[in-house]
Amino acid sequence: MGGDGVQGAACELHGGYSGDNRGGGDRFKGLLARLKGRSSLKNLEPRLFTEEGLASHGDAVEFYGPEGTGKSEMLYHLVVSCILPELAGGLQVEVLFIDTDYHFDMLRLVTILERRLPQGTEDTVKGCLSRLYLVQCGGSTQLLLLLHSLEALVCSHPALCLLIVDSISAFYWMDRLSGGESINQQEASLCRCIEHLEKLLSEYHLVLVATTQALMHVPGSGVYKSDGVSAAWLPLLSTAAQYKPYLCKSWQRLVKHRLVFSKCNNNARDNKLDFTIVSLHPKSSVVSKCAFTVTDGGIQFL
Amino acid sequence: FQLPARVHVPGLSSALGRSPNTLVAVRRVLLAQYSPFPSNGADVYEEVLGSTAILSTGNKNLDKLLDSGLYTGELTEFVGAPGSGKTQVCLSLAVNISCELKQKVVYVDSTGGLSASRLLELIQSQVDSAEQQTDALQRIEVVRVFDVYGMLDVLQDLRTSFTQQVGERERGVKMYFPLGVGVWPIVLGSQVKGERMAIMMQLARALKTMARELGVAVVVTNGVVQDMGGGVKPALGRSWSYVPNARVLLQREAEMGSLQETKRSATVLKSSRQVTELHITGSGTLENQTATDALDNT
Amino acid sequence: MQRDLGSFPLPPGLKVRLTGGGFQTAEDLKDVRASGLSKELGISREEALEILQVVKRESSGKETPGSGALPCTRRYTALELLEREQALGSIITFCCTLDEILGGGVPIAKITEICGAPGVGKTQLSIQLVVDAQIPECFGGLDGESVYIDTEGSFIVDRVVDVAEAAVQHCHLIASSSHDEEQQMAVQTFSVSSILSHIYYFRCHDYVELLAQVHLLADFLAEHPKVRVVVIDSIAFPFRHGFEDLSLRTRLLNGLAQQLIGMANDYKVAVVLTNQMTTRFGQGQSKMVPALGESWGHAATLRLILHWEGKLRFASLYKSPSQREATVPYQITSHGFRDIQPPGPFSSSPVTENPRKRPRAEEQEEQH
Repeated sequence: MGGDGVQGAACELHGGYSGDNRGGGDRFKGLLARLKGRSSLKNLEPRLFTEEGLASHGDAVEFYGPEGTGKSEMLYHLVVSCILPELAGGLQVEVLFIDTDYHFDMLRLVTILERRLPQGTEDTVKGCLSRLYLVQCGGSTQLLLLLHSLEALVCSHPALCLLIVDSISAFYWMDRLSGGESINQQEASLCRCIEHLEKLLSEYHLVLVATTQALMHVPGSGVYKSDGVSAAWLPLLSTAAQYKPYLCKSWQRLVKHRLVFSKCNNNARDNKLDFTIVSLHPKSSVVSKCAFTVTDGGIQFL
Repeated sequence: FQLPARVHVPGLSSALGRSPNTLVAVRRVLLAQYSPFPSNGADVYEEVLGSTAILSTGNKNLDKLLDSGLYTGELTEFVGAPGSGKTQVCLSLAVNISCELKQKVVYVDSTGGLSASRLLELIQSQVDSAEQQTDALQRIEVVRVFDVYGMLDVLQDLRTSFTQQVGERERGVKMYFPLGVGVWPIVLGSQVKGERMAIMMQLARALKTMARELGVAVVVTNGVVQDMGGGVKPALGRSWSYVPNARVLLQREAEMGSLQETKRSATVLKSSRQVTELHITGSGTLENQTATDALDNT
Repeated sequence: MQRDLGSFPLPPGLKVRLTGGGFQTAEDLKDVRASGLSKELGISREEALEILQVVKRESSGKETPGSGALPCTRRYTALELLEREQALGSIITFCCTLDEILGGGVPIAKITEICGAPGVGKTQLSIQLVVDAQIPECFGGLDGESVYIDTEGSFIVDRVVDVAEAAVQHCHLIASSSHDEEQQMAVQTFSVSSILSHIYYFRCHDYVELLAQVHLLADFLAEHPKVRVVVIDSIAFPFRHGFEDLSLRTRLLNGLAQQLIGMANDYKVAVVLTNQMTTRFGQGQSKMVPALGESWGHAATLRLILHWEGKLRFASLYKSPSQREATVPYQITSHGFRDIQPPGPFSSSPVTENPRKRPRAEEQEEQH
C-alpha cells in the first residue's frame, strides 16, 4: 500500500485537479497514474464482449433496452465480477457506480455477490464491497460537477478500472425542457458531461459502461426488411432495429460497443424469462448475439 | 454565481485578472461544496442494512409477490384498470401499517377516491377498542391534491416537515406513503409533450429521492391504456416505466354486471428481487385471496 | 429545499431563462431580489416578481377567488377527515336499495359516473338527483341547490315538474303524519316552483362550450354556496363525435376530470356525470363497456352502470372507494326513479338473487 500512499499524497498536494491547467505538477501526477497502469478488463465477461473483449482502455459501452430487459442485472453481474477477489475468480479491481435513477439496489448486489463467494463471511463480502464506490446524482448539472470532481478519486485509486453510469439518459426530458427551443441548448449539459467523460476515459484508461433507456417509440419495430440477408439474421436485425439513437452526437461518437437488450418472449419454460443481447459495433457493423437468463443468483448465460 | 464547472480557468483568469491558481482553488472549493460525493460500497451496505425495513402488506400472498412486503427506500407501483382495486389495495396497506405496525402513513389522494369511512371500516375489522381505532386513524394523514404542481409542493412540504420531525423523535419511525398518483396530474400538466415529460420526470425524481433520503416506502397507483394488440399496458409510457422499483398489475377477472363474486388477481410485472413473474388470483379460500378480496369479505 | 426550478409551475420560456442564467434550484433564488433577477435574465420586472412568488410559494393575489389559502395542500389526519366526511352527507335517490349499495346515496365531494345504454334511465336518475338535492334538512335532505349542464338536449322540464311534484308530495305526507313543527314549516316553502327556481340549467352544444362552462363553474359555485350537485348529462356526447385527434381528446378529458375533482372537493358538491356505452371487440368476443376509453375510467370515483336484463332495469355499482360491488333492480315510474315494488323483500338483501326472475328475463332477452 506504500505506493498508494505516495500517490494519494501527490494528489492531495495538487488538489486532484488536472483539467484545463496543465502545470508541471499535473503532468507528473498524470505520469504516475499512467506508470502504475490500470488492470486490464480483458477478461471481464468474454461471453458478453466476444470479439476482441473489453481490451482497450478508454472504451465506452452502451447498454440499450426497454424497461425490464435485464440491463441492471447485467450491470450487477459486471460489478460483482470486478470486485470479487482474484482467488474467487474475480478481477479484484475497483468500480465507480454513478446512479442517476436512484435505482441501485444494494441488497440485490449483495445477494449476487454472496452466491459467487462460496464460503463468504460478512467480512469478505464487505471486503469486496469496499472496492465499489457509489454515488447518486439528480440532474445533469450535478452529473457534470461530479465528473469534474472525480479526477481526484480516479487519481488516488489506481485500482479503479470501471466506471458505470446507470443511466446516462435519465435527465433527457428535464434537459429538453430547460434548453427551450434550441436543440444545441437542450443537449448542452449532456454534451459537456460526455466531453468530460471522454477525457476521463482517455487520460486515466478507464472503461465506461452506461445504460440508455429506450425512451422513444420506434415505429414498426420488430419488422425489419432487408434484402440479401439470410433468414437466421433477421431476428437479430429486428432487435437491432429497435435501437434508436436520441442522445447527442458526441455520445454516439464515444460509444465503441453497443449492446441492445431485449426480452425473449417465445420461451416460457421453467417460468423463467430469457433475455437476448444483440451487440452492434458502430464502426464495423458486426452483429453478434448472446442470450442469458436471470436467476436468484444473478445472470446465467445460455 | 455561474456554475464553476462551466467556466474555463484560463479564460476566466484573464477576464478577471486573477492568477489561475486562485481560480483553481476557488473551483476546488465550489466543487467540494456542490458536487455529490461517492461513498464506499461497504459503508453503503451497512447503512442499507441499518435503515431498510420491510413493511408487511397484511396479506400473505401480496407479501409473497413483493418478496415479503414493501421496502423502505423503494417505489412500488400498483397498475390497473378502473375498478381493479388499486384504491382498495392502498387503503388496506395504509390501515395495516397504521394498525399492525403502528407507523405513520401519509396518503396523498389525487383522485378523490379516499373515503375515511371506508378506512374506519377497515380499521374496525382489525382492532376492537375505540381508543385504538382513533389512534390508528390519527396515524394516517391525508393530503388532497389534484394537479402535478400541487403534488410537487406537497412532496416538498413533506420532506421539510419530516426532516424536522426526525430531529425531534428517535430515528426509526418509518413513514409509509401511498399516493394516488394517477395518470391525471401528469398527463394533464401541460399541453406540450416535452413539458409534460419533464414534469413527470421531476415528479419521479421527487418521489425517489424522498423514498431514499427519508427511508420511507412509497406506493403509487397508475392506470392502464390500451396497447396496439388490444390488451392493456401501464399508462404514462416508456419513460415512467423505468421509475418504479416494483410494479404489480391488478386485474379483475369476472365480467362487469355479472352477479357472481368478482375475482381479482395480482401479477408482478417488475421487481428487482423477484426473478420470475408471479401471479396470484383471488379465487378459492380466504387464504389464497388477494388483499382486495380479503377486504371484500371482511 | 433542494427543489429543482423545473418543478415549479412557471412558463417554459422563463424556465429556459432561469437555467440559462445558472439558476438550478429554489435555493439559488433564496436571496435574489426581483430587480436583480430581471436585470440578470433580461426579463421584465413583473416576470421576475412572478418567478419569485411562485418559487417562494406565496399566493400572488391573482389566485382564483374562492380557493382561499391553498386549501388543497393542507394535511388532515384520517380522523379529522372522517368527521368532515360524515358532516357532508349524500343525496338520496328515492330508490332504497340503490341508496343502500351506494352507502346512503350519491356522495358529496365525489364524482359519480352513471353509464348506460340509451333509454335505460340515466337522465331520469340525473333529474331525480337535482330534485332530491333540494329536500329540506329536516326530512334528511341537504337543503341545497342544483346545477344541470345539458349537452344532449334531453332535459325536459315537464318531467322535472313530475318528479318534483312527487318529491314535494312525499314531504307533505311525512310532515302531516309526524306533526313535527320544523317539518311543517319546511313544507310551506318546499314547492315545485321553488325546486325549479333552484335548478341552474346550462345548455352546452359542443365540447368547447362544455369546457368553457366547466371553467366558469368554479366562480359560479363560489357565488352559489348552496349548490350541492352538479350534473353533466352527458359527458360522452360532445366528446364522441367529430374527434379526429384522440390524444387531444384524452388530454381535454383528463383536464376536465381534474377540474371537476378539485371543484367537488373545494365546494362540497356531488358531481354526477352520465356516460354512454360502447362496444369493444377483443379476443374474438365483443362486450359493452363505458365510452370514452380506458383512461377516462379513472376519472370518476364511483361508477354506476345501468343495464337491462330483459324488461327489468338493474343498477350495478362497478367501482366505489367505500362500498362493495352490488347489483340492484330499479324502475322508472311517473314519479321518478324508484324501487321495484314492493320494496320490502329487497331492502334486506342488496344483491338480487331472486331465482324466479331469471327465466323470464332470459326469455325477454331473445326478443330484445
